[in-house]
Amino acid sequence: MATILVYVETRGGAVQPIAFELLAAARSLAAPAGWTVEALVCAADPAAPAVEITAADCVLTMAHPALSPYLPEAHAAALQAVVDERQPDVVLFGYTTAGLDLAPATAGRTGRTLAAYCRTLALDGGALTASAQVYGGKLIAGIEAPLPAVACVMPGAFAEDAGRIAGSPERIVLPAPATLGALKTRVLEELFPEAGGVDLTQASRILCVGRGIGEAAKIAGAAEVAELLGAELAGSRPVIDAGWMPKARQVGKSGTKVRPKLYVAVGVSGAPEHLEGMAKSDLIVAINSDARAPIFGAAHFGAAIDLFDLLPALADRLRAG
Amino acid sequence: MHAAVVLRLVPDIADDLEISESGNDIDREWVGMKLNEFDDHALEEAVLLKERAGASVTAVALDGDGVDKLLQSAIARGADRVVKITYDELPPLPAAAAVAAILADAIQALGADVVLTGVQTPEDAGGQLAAALGARLGWPHLSAVAGVQPAPDGLIVRQEHSGGYATRVHAAGPVVLGVQSASQPPRYVSGSKLRQAIGVKPEKRAGGEAFAGPVAMVRRLAKPASGGGAAMWKGDADAVADQFVALLRERGLLKG
Amino acid sequence: MPMPSPLAVLALIAVAVLVAGYRARVLIAAIARAPAAHRWDQPWQRLGFVAREVGLHRRLLQIRLSGSFHLMIFCGFVVLFSAIVADFGAGLFPGFSLHAIGGDTWIALLQDVFALVLLAAIGLAIWHRFVIRPARFAGSRTTDATLIYLFVIAIVLSMLTEAASGIAAGNVAGGWRPVSGALAAALTGAGLGADGAAALHAGATWVHMLAILGFLAYIPGSKHRHMFTAIPNIFFRPLTPRGVLPAPPEARGQVGISKIEQFTWKDVLDTASCTECGRCQAACPAFAAGQPLSPKKLIMDLRDRIMADAADSAGPLLGGTISEQTLWACITCGACMTVCPLHIEHVPKIVDMRRQLVEEARVGPGLQDAFANMQRTGNSMGKPARQRARWTKDVGFKVKDARKEPVDILWFVGDYASFDPRAQRITIAFAKLLHAAGVDFGILSDAEQNSGNDIRRAGEEGLFQTLARSNMDALSECTFQRIVTTDPHSLNALRQEYPALGGAHAPVLHHTDLLLELIEAGALKLKPGSGATVTYHDPCYLGRYNGGFGAPRALIERAGYRLHEMPRNRENSFCCGAGGGRIWGDDTGVTERPSENRIKEALALGDATLFVVACPKDMVMYTAAIEALDVRGKLAVRDIVDLLELAEA
Ligand SMILES: Cc1cc2nc3c(=O)[nH]c(=O)nc-3n(C[C@H](O)[C@H](O)[C@H](O)COP(=O)(O)OP(=O)(O)OC[C@H]3O[C@@H](n4cnc5c(N)ncnc54)[C@H](O)[C@@H]3O)c2cc1C
Ligand code: SF4
Ligand code: SF4
Repeated sequence: MATILVYVETRGGAVQPIAFELLAAARSLAAPAGWTVEALVCAADPAAPAVEITAADCVLTMAHPALSPYLPEAHAAALQAVVDERQPDVVLFGYTTAGLDLAPATAGRTGRTLAAYCRTLALDGGALTASAQVYGGKLIAGIEAPLPAVACVMPGAFAEDAGRIAGSPERIVLPAPATLGALKTRVLEELFPEAGGVDLTQASRILCVGRGIGEAAKIAGAAEVAELLGAELAGSRPVIDAGWMPKARQVGKSGTKVRPKLYVAVGVSGAPEHLEGMAKSDLIVAINSDARAPIFGAAHFGAAIDLFDLLPALADRLRAG
Repeated sequence: MHAAVVLRLVPDIADDLEISESGNDIDREWVGMKLNEFDDHALEEAVLLKERAGASVTAVALDGDGVDKLLQSAIARGADRVVKITYDELPPLPAAAAVAAILADAIQALGADVVLTGVQTPEDAGGQLAAALGARLGWPHLSAVAGVQPAPDGLIVRQEHSGGYATRVHAAGPVVLGVQSASQPPRYVSGSKLRQAIGVKPEKRAGGEAFAGPVAMVRRLAKPASGGGAAMWKGDADAVADQFVALLRERGLLKG
Repeated sequence: MPMPSPLAVLALIAVAVLVAGYRARVLIAAIARAPAAHRWDQPWQRLGFVAREVGLHRRLLQIRLSGSFHLMIFCGFVVLFSAIVADFGAGLFPGFSLHAIGGDTWIALLQDVFALVLLAAIGLAIWHRFVIRPARFAGSRTTDATLIYLFVIAIVLSMLTEAASGIAAGNVAGGWRPVSGALAAALTGAGLGADGAAALHAGATWVHMLAILGFLAYIPGSKHRHMFTAIPNIFFRPLTPRGVLPAPPEARGQVGISKIEQFTWKDVLDTASCTECGRCQAACPAFAAGQPLSPKKLIMDLRDRIMADAADSAGPLLGGTISEQTLWACITCGACMTVCPLHIEHVPKIVDMRRQLVEEARVGPGLQDAFANMQRTGNSMGKPARQRARWTKDVGFKVKDARKEPVDILWFVGDYASFDPRAQRITIAFAKLLHAAGVDFGILSDAEQNSGNDIRRAGEEGLFQTLARSNMDALSECTFQRIVTTDPHSLNALRQEYPALGGAHAPVLHHTDLLLELIEAGALKLKPGSGATVTYHDPCYLGRYNGGFGAPRALIERAGYRLHEMPRNRENSFCCGAGGGRIWGDDTGVTERPSENRIKEALALGDATLFVVACPKDMVMYTAAIEALDVRGKLAVRDIVDLLELAEA
């Protein structure tokens, strides 16, 4: 029977959220065709994370010391062995560092076709069809990947709930291939994010406050929302000028140029010097009471609304989780 | 050490992108092309390897419009040698495997033992080149590389993951690196150095045999539903907050 | 005490000259081995200028008080030179005197009077330096100045004493010497006998000579060098138009300057001439903004580096003697060069050092982005070249493409005017005015690139050459009579820099020139303006660099507004802070942005409600400054074009 193999990314013994989205994707592909879904957990000690996986028909585990922490060469070798042996029709990866490593590697080493940046997936005759986000999201590509195929799926494209449903998958332990004993690369150390010092260029989420905030005392409200969002707090030039935030938090031409995954601008008008510093962010949400503020030209989503109304409402919801 | 850097010209996505008549490519006649941003970092990292460890640097690019100028600028940046690879034909937004097939032989023939290229491009819907080249060459590879240090017995590579987590990986033999950011921002090359490099004529080499296996194809390109400008949320603060949170959830951007 | 014998005088002179020569040796050697600068052309014009500049004290008198006492000291020295000649003449050749040409009559009178004038001037100078203490002296060497005062006082007092005791002793005629005469009377009255007077006369003569020779020996190590270097320095000043930045000399073999020895002899002379007066520092907007740049300090630091013998001048020039931040702080506004009484050339030195930093890629991220964008797209914003003419969609008629058809006026639009939404508004308004006036005009569309004016000043010479060539090529493909631009930076490049590179010499107008011309010819009929009071900011590259002071003011008047000038206007205009590539830099360390300083100046006028500008960058800078100061209700920025409202047909 035809199968879909989901690569389950783990870190520190825990399954990464993207894996559940992939399981959801796999199920939505498999169900109409009556295919089965297999999940593969490769780690030094895969048993614990594997337990978290319930939404597959079968959970494959492979244990080898070289598999944790994540090392591309080791995981590529493991996948090659598994895919060669089990011959899945579709292999799914998430668009993460591991996905960037392993999707093309698996496709290349096992002679499979590949579709990257997928937001939707479907089976169409002998091919996997996908719509992929290209050119910084400006265009959508319709891709046709003859089976057997590999797909790399964008985070957020599939809701993870469907990948978390309960079930009692069959559990199979796979032997580690001999290639894992002869690797040319090895992990020297793991580096964890440090708390403290700001470096906006490294932030994946930023909440930027503009002069619309009005006064220093109001920054606290925005800071709370930033905290709840897991975002760094930033400011436009007037906010920095006023001394409400240190210069290291200024976004724009004469500050820092940033490109986070999420950029929320509240009370920022969107002067060209500001846009220069943030317009390339992946997702921009703007809140400004003036519907004609130029920031809306650069934002993907926006609301013309008073920020002092929105921030508390947003905080409530984020706190509630 | 001999570092080969693969450089690619990609459309400037700040430009208006129009879809070609065939429907499966952008209209390349008018669009401005620029060096892929990540390749720029890969080149910088290669030049740093040259400065820190005496590596020789060869910049490689598929032949095409503007490639001479691109490679000349690589010379001005510090590359020792520049090579353009000729090939028969590639479909629009080609599969990484097909590109890797063209490049791999040439890279091997150059005698390179480390290959650097950008981790991705705005148009590599057919997969990322670094890992595909690794597969083709049979070398280990690392994507999302943020800094390479020479070590006595190889290289130490920093690989970045989400959430600020990273690993330092030692690579003993030949390796392919998909560079996300160089150890320091790409240096500026002055106009006078560029003008000097204009005289350089890149070497030409034939690429490998076309890729034989099946590949994915881009069948059509389309503009996403919402055009320019923000999609505006309506309603009061509560309604907006709901839509905001729903968006974050949908995009997997909620904290945690 | 006997009078000095000729041999003793000769010996003293020899010692003083040797000491002075020794002290000047480093400078002389530095000038002798420095690379060439070609400054011997048009000698008569140069001489005439020196005579006017030195004689009239034009620049010095811009600051009334210090200019006045400098003039007094200057004249005093000229007159007292006669006393020096008389003394040393007599000392060397007993019997020598100026008697024949009036040494005991009018010259004596002048000496007496100017001795007092000099004392008074030195008194003023001391009061000025130690009591008033103008900020511009901050960083100047006080001991040096004090020593000079003491020398001058010693010279004058000994001269008076010499004359007075001479009169008392009966050796000197007193008739034409009212001051020394009175002094002599006082001495005699105090009981000084003839012998005593003769001894005092000899003693004073000694002191006078020693003071003079001591001063002479002291000068080479002091700012008073300018007594000798000022005239040559003004003589050798550049005659090239102000808007042309010198290209790197071929012979240097590198684009920029990285070693002190690479400065030309004129640069060395510049540094040796600086009087540390600080006028440049007081005029410098970067200094006022709290940036680590004082043009005075820069010149002094270069001088000290030259004067420190090569051996002990360790450390790099760039990033050592002169810090990188100092070099990048300059806005190239040219205010320093406009006020410097010695006509010292600060900006070319700064740019030469920047050129080296650019070659070594030692540039900040903002500047690097702008450069890289320009290499790629021809504009600093990195906007696709094809979008350059996008604004033409909003003018309501078709703007001609000058590459496709001949036009009368070719409009070189410029980056900000093409791409920045705030400046675009002006661009569109100007297009409509041209259209209404029936002007046949066209643009280069996407063949236009940044003019390179500021790129050149930011030290990116190679990129400037590339941009300039590309624009010159594009222009040479088109047929037109004249060029117009709303952008003073482009104006400067097209009018001054391109011809120096061998570009065509078509007349280049600023839009204010053309608009005034159209109004005067009756082609544009204006609605009378509101009569509101406005103020006007002279853009550096229109005003100071290109002398465009009149047209904007005439237009403001024609448009029916009342112009209330800010204190710093015309030549003394205060830069907005955007020039020389600064608009691309970050502003860490700026305590007060020049643009905000300027807006405060306008607000202080009290009655001006509009801040009128004539440069797209000014529109951007001052709009942001008004936002930053949050004074939107009080003052609004307008381009001159905004003031011109067409009368209903
Ligand atoms: C050379 C140069 C460099 C510059 N560099 C930078 C830079 O690096 N970064 C930068 O940010 N700017 C920079 N600027 C300044 C820039 O031009 C703008 O002045 C600045 O970005 C405006 O900041 P703002 O949007 O916070 O303020 P404003 O323009 O004053 O906008 C405030 C906004 O808040 C909105 N608002 C007010 N009250 C509320 C409310 N209760 N709820 C919701 N919205 C509200 C208003 O509608 C308005 O749109 C630079 C300018 C120049 C000339
Ligand atoms: S040009 Fe202007 S900014 Fe530069 S040193 Fe002179 S006065 Fe200062
Ligand atoms: S450079 Fe000129 S203005 Fe500046 S201190 Fe020296 S003499 Fe005065």
